[in-house]
Amino acid sequence: MTSTLHRETVENRVFQASYLALLVFMLLPLFVVVVTSFSQAGRLAFPPESYSLAWYGEFFESTRWLRAFTNSILIGVGTALLASFLGVTGAFGQELDTDDSLGAILQPLVLIPLLIPPVVLGITLLMYFSEVGLRGSYASIILAHTLWATPLVYFVMRSVFSRFDWQQLDAAHDLGAGPVRSFVHVVLPNVKHGILVGALLAFIISLQEFVMALFLSTPSTTTIPVLAWTQIRQALDPMVSVVSTFLILISLGAIVIAAIATNLKWLSKQLS
Amino acid sequence: MSEITLHDLEKQYGETTAVEDVSVEIRDGELLCLLGPSGSGKSTTLRMIAGLETPTSGTISIEADDVTDQPAYERNTSTVFQDWALFPHKSVLENVAFGLKMRGMSKDDRQKRARSMLERVQMGGYGDDDPTNLSGGQKQRVALARSLAVNPDVLLLDEPLSNLDKRLREDMQIELREIHEDLEETFVHVTHDQDEAFTLADRIGIMNEGELVQVGDPDEVYENPKNRFIEAFLGDTNFVDAVVTRTSSDAVHVDTELGTELVLPTDGEPDVDEGTGLTLSLRPEILSIDGETGRPEAAGKQPVATDGSAHNAVTGTVENVIYRGSTVRYSVSINGSSMFAERTDASTGAHASGDDIRLEWDGEDVLAFRDDGTRVTL
Repeated sequence: MTSTLHRETVENRVFQASYLALLVFMLLPLFVVVVTSFSQAGRLAFPPESYSLAWYGEFFESTRWLRAFTNSILIGVGTALLASFLGVTGAFGQELDTDDSLGAILQPLVLIPLLIPPVVLGITLLMYFSEVGLRGSYASIILAHTLWATPLVYFVMRSVFSRFDWQQLDAAHDLGAGPVRSFVHVVLPNVKHGILVGALLAFIISLQEFVMALFLSTPSTTTIPVLAWTQIRQALDPMVSVVSTFLILISLGAIVIAAIATNLKWLSKQLS
Repeated sequence: MSEITLHDLEKQYGETTAVEDVSVEIRDGELLCLLGPSGSGKSTTLRMIAGLETPTSGTISIEADDVTDQPAYERNTSTVFQDWALFPHKSVLENVAFGLKMRGMSKDDRQKRARSMLERVQMGGYGDDDPTNLSGGQKQRVALARSLAVNPDVLLLDEPLSNLDKRLREDMQIELREIHEDLEETFVHVTHDQDEAFTLADRIGIMNEGELVQVGDPDEVYENPKNRFIEAFLGDTNFVDAVVTRTSSDAVHVDTELGTELVLPTDGEPDVDEGTGLTLSLRPEILSIDGETGRPEAAGKQPVATDGSAHNAVTGTVENVIYRGSTVRYSVSINGSSMFAERTDASTGAHASGDDIRLEWDGEDVLAFRDDGTRVTL
C-alpha cells in the first residue's frame, strides 16, 4: 500500500522544518557564546582548543566584574519596582476612567520613550541629570531604564486588567472596602501574576540595556553591558563569554519564573 | 431596615440621559421591584442607591440621612450583582465574611456569622469550596449570603436571577420572597421579567426611558396602568384603534377598526372630545367566547349579556388555534384586523380554524389611551 501524503500535511511539515531551521540559526550565536565561555585559552576562538572553568574563576576573583554584576542587579531591581509601580497604576487608572479621555493622552505619551533613539535619550538625560544633581547616581540609570520599561509593564497590565472582572471591584466597594483595601484585597490577588511578569520584563530590559547606561554610568555605577564593552575594546578574551552566559542564564531564569507564575494556577486547576 | 427617599434623581452619561426625574419613597421593610425593559434606567437607579454611580443631580436619603455624596464603601447598602461578582481567589466562606472583615469584625465572629448566613441560604456545607466551581444557583445563594451578612439598611438586587434557567429562577423567587418576609428588611429588586416582579414585589415601580412611570401595588399597576406603555408591557392585550364619535354625560361612543361602534361607560363627564383618536385595550381575560367566560379571572363577574348599556360584542373568524398547555389561544380576524382571545379549558368547546366566533366583553373593563399614550379617565 502506497502512503500518499496530503497537501496539508506536507505544508505543515515544511513549515515546521523551516521554522526550526530559522530558530537554530538565530540561537546558534548564543550556543557559541556559552561554549567559548568554557575555553582555556586567553583569546576568543570557536571551537576552543581546550576546555576549563578558568574564566569563571577569573570572573569571581575580579572585583570590577563583581561590582558591575551587583550594580546591574541593583539597577534592574530598582527599575522593576519603579516601572511596575508606574505601569500598574497607569493602566489601573485608565481602566477606572469611564469616558477614556485619560487614555487618549496617556497611551501615546507612554510610548514616546520607546520611539526616541537611545543615543538621543542618553545624551539628553545626561544633561538633565547633571542639572538636577543626579549625575553618576544609581537613580539616574534607574530612571533612564524606567522610561523604557514602563511602557512594557503598562501594556502587559492593560491586557491583564482587560481580563479582570471589574464587577468585583464594585462588589468590594459595596461591601465596605475603600479604594486602598479593595485594591489590596480584591484587585491585587487577581492580577499579581501579571504584575510579576511585568516586573521581570522590566528587570530584563534594565539588565540588557547598554546605550543609556554607557552615557549615565560612572566607574562606580558601571553595569555589566557597559563593562563588557570597555573590556572588549581592550582585549577580546573569553571573559565576555562568561559574562554573556550569566546574562543569558538570568534572563532564562526570569522567563521560567514568569512562565511558572502565569501557569501555576492553570496547572493546579488541571491537576485538581 | 429603613426608608429610602429618592428625590428628582438624574443621571447623564455625556449627552445621554440614563435616568430622569426619579422620585420615590421606598418604605421601611418593603420589597420594591423596579421593572422595565433593558435600557430603561432601572439598574442605573439601583447603582445610584448603592453609591456605585454618582447622580448628576437629585438626592438620595436613607433614614433621613442624605447619602448622595457618600461613596459606596461608606453606605450601609449591599448589592447582589447580576453575575454575582464573587471573589474567585477567596473561598466561599471568605467571600461571605469579606464585608464583615471590612467592618473590622474579629476573625472568629465573622466566620461564625458567615457560616450561619451560609446555613440560611442552604449552602452550609460549601464554606471551603472555590466559588468558581459552584453552579449558577449556588453562586447566587453565596452572593445573597455575602450581601446579607453585613446586615445592610437595604438589600439591592440587580437582576441576580436573570442568568438562571427558568425552573431554578422560579424556585429562587419563592425563596427570596421567604427570606424577605423572614428578615423584614428593605429590598430593592431590579428585573425586566414581569412574572418575577409580580411574584416578589410588595410594590412595583415601572421604568421606561429613564423615567419612573408608575409606582404601586402589583394589582394596581396591572389593573390601573397610568399609560399605554405599562398596559402593553404588562401581560398581553389587544390594542384596537378607535375614534370618538359622540360623548354623553355617562359614556363615550367610539367607532373602531373592528367595524362596530362601541360604548365605553364613564363615571362622570368624559375628558375626551369628539374626533379624538384613541387606542382601546381589550385584555384576553375580559373577553368571553360565545357567551362563556374566558380566563378564570373573569368568571366571578356578572354575566355580560345582562349588562345592557356596557355590553359589547363582535363576531369574527378563527384564523389560528394555538395550544398553550393550560390555555388555548385563538387568533381571530374581525373586519380585517386581528385580535386574540383565550379559553382556559383546552378540552371543551374547542373552535377550529375557519369557525365563526363571537367575542363579548363588558365595556367597563376596557381601557382607553390617547395617541400620546396617556390614559383616558372613563
